[in-house]
Amino acid sequence: MTWADLLEGSRHVITAIMDLVATPVLIYFLVINTSLLVLIGLAAWEFLRHNRRTGYAGREETLASRLGQGVSVVVPAYNEEAVIVTSVQAMLSLRYPRHEVIVVDDGSTDAMFAQLRAAFDLVPVQREVPSDLTTRGTIIDVHVPRGGRTRLVVVRKENSGRSDAINVGINAAAEPLVMFVDADSILDPDALIVVTKPFADDPTRVVATGGVIRAANGCKVVDGRIVEVNLAKPWIVRIQVVEYLRAFLLGRTGWSRFGALILISGAFGMFRRDVLVGIGGLDPDSIGEDFELVMRIHRHMIDNHRDYRVQFVAEPVSWTEVPVTATVLRSQRKRWHRGLWETLWKYRRMLFNPRYGKVGLVAIPYYWVFELIAPLVELVGLVLVAAGFALGVVNVPYALLFMAVAYGYAILVTLVAIAIDELAFHKYTRWRDLGAILLVSVLENVGYRQATAWWRMEGWWSSLVGKKAVWGTMTRQGFDDGSSPVTAVTSMSSDERAKSSDE
Amino acid sequence: MSVGQVLLIADAVIGLSCASSVAVIAIAKFGRDRGGARSSALLAPYRHALIAMASGEDEEGQARGVLFAVSAPTWDRLRPSVVAFLPKVRGAPADDLGELLRSHGEIEAAKRMLISRSAVRRARAAYLLGLVRDPDSAALVLPLLGDPDEDVRLVAARALGAIGEPSAARGVLHALRTQHGQIGLPAWVAAEALLSMGVQIAPALQIGLASEDPAVRNVCAVVAGLGTFASVAPQLRILLATDSEGDVRASAAVALGRVGGAEDVVALARHTDASETAVLRRTCATALGDLGQRESLDTLVGLLGDGDCRLAALAADSLVRIGSEGIARLQEAAAATRPGPSARAALGALDLAGLRGQLGVSGGGA
Repeated sequence: MTWADLLEGSRHVITAIMDLVATPVLIYFLVINTSLLVLIGLAAWEFLRHNRRTGYAGREETLASRLGQGVSVVVPAYNEEAVIVTSVQAMLSLRYPRHEVIVVDDGSTDAMFAQLRAAFDLVPVQREVPSDLTTRGTIIDVHVPRGGRTRLVVVRKENSGRSDAINVGINAAAEPLVMFVDADSILDPDALIVVTKPFADDPTRVVATGGVIRAANGCKVVDGRIVEVNLAKPWIVRIQVVEYLRAFLLGRTGWSRFGALILISGAFGMFRRDVLVGIGGLDPDSIGEDFELVMRIHRHMIDNHRDYRVQFVAEPVSWTEVPVTATVLRSQRKRWHRGLWETLWKYRRMLFNPRYGKVGLVAIPYYWVFELIAPLVELVGLVLVAAGFALGVVNVPYALLFMAVAYGYAILVTLVAIAIDELAFHKYTRWRDLGAILLVSVLENVGYRQATAWWRMEGWWSSLVGKKAVWGTMTRQGFDDGSSPVTAVTSMSSDERAKSSDE
Repeated sequence: MSVGQVLLIADAVIGLSCASSVAVIAIAKFGRDRGGARSSALLAPYRHALIAMASGEDEEGQARGVLFAVSAPTWDRLRPSVVAFLPKVRGAPADDLGELLRSHGEIEAAKRMLISRSAVRRARAAYLLGLVRDPDSAALVLPLLGDPDEDVRLVAARALGAIGEPSAARGVLHALRTQHGQIGLPAWVAAEALLSMGVQIAPALQIGLASEDPAVRNVCAVVAGLGTFASVAPQLRILLATDSEGDVRASAAVALGRVGGAEDVVALARHTDASETAVLRRTCATALGDLGQRESLDTLVGLLGDGDCRLAALAADSLVRIGSEGIARLQEAAAATRPGPSARAALGALDLAGLRGQLGVSGGGA
C-alpha cells in the first residue's frame, strides 16, 4: 500500500464519518446552546420576580422574624492559619439573629488552632459530640470561647478529609439548619438572611438551598468582607468569572425555577440538619460529594413520598478564590468531571425514571447528555474538522456552520448571561471590567474551552480505568486587608485531602 | 436551502443578537450611572429636610413646610425616598411622613390602585397602605389576600399585619394554603402578620390548627407558642400526639413548652421516648426546660444517660434552665462514683453554665 493509497483511504474514512455525524453534531450544539438560553431565560424571569419583590417583600424584617430558624455554619478547615481568624470573625458577625459557627479542625499541622485559641480565648469543654452520622476521624477535643456566650465551637479531630470533617460538624451542630462554608470563602453580610429565607417561607417543605458563588480574585477585601468588586487581571481568572456567571448563577437559577435543581455547591449550601442525618451525611468516598449529596436527597425524599423543595437563591454571594494557574485548574476540572460521572453512574436508576419526576426525566438526562458527554462530542468534532482540513475533504460551508452553531451561538449565550447579570445585579461597576468580561466571552472559545474539554475527558477516563481519586495539589492565595490578594501560599497534598478553592 | 444560505442566516442572526446584547449591557450601565447621578442631584435640595422629618428633628416645622410645598413633578421624584424611609421609623416621624404622603394624595391614589389591572400597582398600593398603617384601608386590602398574584397576596398580608386588623386572620390563614404545589404565602409573613393582630385571632388559630394543610397547622402552632395563646393548648396537645407531620408535632411541642403548664409535662415526657424521632425527642426535652416545671426533673435526669448524647445535652441544659433544683440534680449526676454518659452530660452542661455564670456563687461546675 502506497502513501497515496493510505491518504486516499483516510479521506474516505473521514468523509464517511463526517457524513454520518455532521448533522447530529450540529443538532447537538444547537440544542445544548438553546437549552442554556432557555435556562438563562428562566433565570431572568426569576430575577425579574426577585427584583420586583425586593421593594416590598420585607427582607430586613426576616431578621427580626421569630420564625427564622437557627443556623449552624460548619467550617471544615485544614491548615488554614492564614485566613482562619479573619474568616471566623467575619462569619460570627454575619447579620442573623441565631447562628453558631463550628470550626472542624481536620488534623491541621500548622498553627491554625493556636491562632484560634489566642484570638477567641478558647477553653476545652467536656462536650460530647453526638454520633448521629458515622464518622471516621477520631475527635480529639472540643473548645468554646471562655465567656461561653460567643457562639463558636471548635472541634479538633484526626485528619480524615473534608467530607468527614463536615459530617463531624453536622454532628456537632445544635441548630436545625446547617450550612457548609469553606474557610477561605467570604460571605456577603446578608448571606444567611437570604439563604435561609426559603426555609422561613416554606418551613415544612424546603430541605436545601444553595447560593451564588463568585470569583473573589482581584476584589478588595477588608476584615473578611468584600468591599470592592474588581475583576482580576489574569485572563484565566476572567474566563472563570464568566463561566461561574453562566453556569452557576444563571444555570442553577434556571434549574431551580424549573423545579429540578440537582446540584448545590459544596462551598455554599444550606440544608436541614434532620434531612442530612436522615440520608447519612456526605459520602466521604465521593469525589463529587456536593452533587452526590443533593442527588441522594432527591432520591430519599421521593422514595419516602415526601413533598419537598430544593431551591437556589440568586442574591446572597459567597466569594471564593478560583484557580490562577492552568495546573490547578486542570486538577479541579478533572475532579469535577470525575465526580459528575461517578455520581451520575451511581444514580443511573433515576435516569428516565418517571418516579423521580422532573429530576429523573429532565435534569438527570440533561446532565448525562449536555454535561457529561459534551467534552467528548466537542473534542471529536474538533478532531474531525482538523483532520478534514488536513486531508482536504472538509466541507467549508459546513465547517463554518459548525463554528457558528458551536462557538458563535455559545458567545451569544454568554453575552445574554452577562446582560442579564448586568441588568439584575451589576456587580462590576467599572467600565473596563465590563469590557474585559465582554472580551472574555469571545476569548474563552479560543483555547480555554478546548483545554477544559480535554481535562474533563482526562477526569472521566481516570475514573473509567480505576485510577485512585486524588484532590491534587492546590496552590492558592490568601486574602489580606488591602486592594489585592496577597501571595501567601497554602498548599495541600492529595493524602491530606484538604479542600481546594473550587466549589 | 443550501448550507451556504443557512450559514448566512445563522451568522446574521447570531451577529445581530450579539450586538444587541452588547448594546443592552452598555445602555444599562450608562443609564444606571447617569440616572443615579441625576437622581442624587434632583434630591439634593430636599435631602436635609427629609432626614430632619424622618429623624424627628424638625421641631420648628421648616422641613415640613418645604416638603409639603413641593410641586407635583418634584414630588414624583421625591416619593420613593419618602416611602423608603417609612419602614425604618416609628412614632411621630412615621406619622409625619404618612401625613406628607396623604397631603400629596398618595393614600387616596393607593386606595384606587388596589383594583388596578396591574399586579405591580396593586402590590405597591397595598404596601403603601400598610406602611402608613391606615386602619380605614383594612377592608379594602382584605380582598387582596385572594389575589391571583402571589406578590400581591404577600404584600396584602404584611399590610394587614401592620394595620393590626384581627378580622383578617382567617383570610391570612386561607391565603397560606398550598395551591398547585406552591405555598400561598410565605409562612413567616403569615405568622408575623398574625402575631401583629393581637389576641383576638385566637378563634382563627383554633380553626387553623385543625386545617387539612400541614403548612397552616404548622404556622398556627408556631404563632400559638410565640403569641402565648394558652387557649389553644388542648389542640396543641392533640397535634403533638397525633399529627401526621413531624414538623407540626415539633412545632406543637415548642408551643406547649411556652404556653403549657404542669399538666403538659407527662405528654412532653412521653414524646422523649426512644420510639419517637430524634428531632421530636430533642424538641420535647427542650420544651420541658421551657416549661420550667419541677415535675420534669426525673424525666430530664433520666435522659442524661440516653444513647443520643445531643438529647442528653439538651436535657442537661433544660435542667440548668429550671434553676437551682435542676442544677442540684445535675451536680448529683456529675458526682456519680462511676462516671458514665449521665455524668459526662451533666459535666458538660455544668461546664457551660459555669462559663456563662449561670451557676451562682455555689455553683461548682465541672
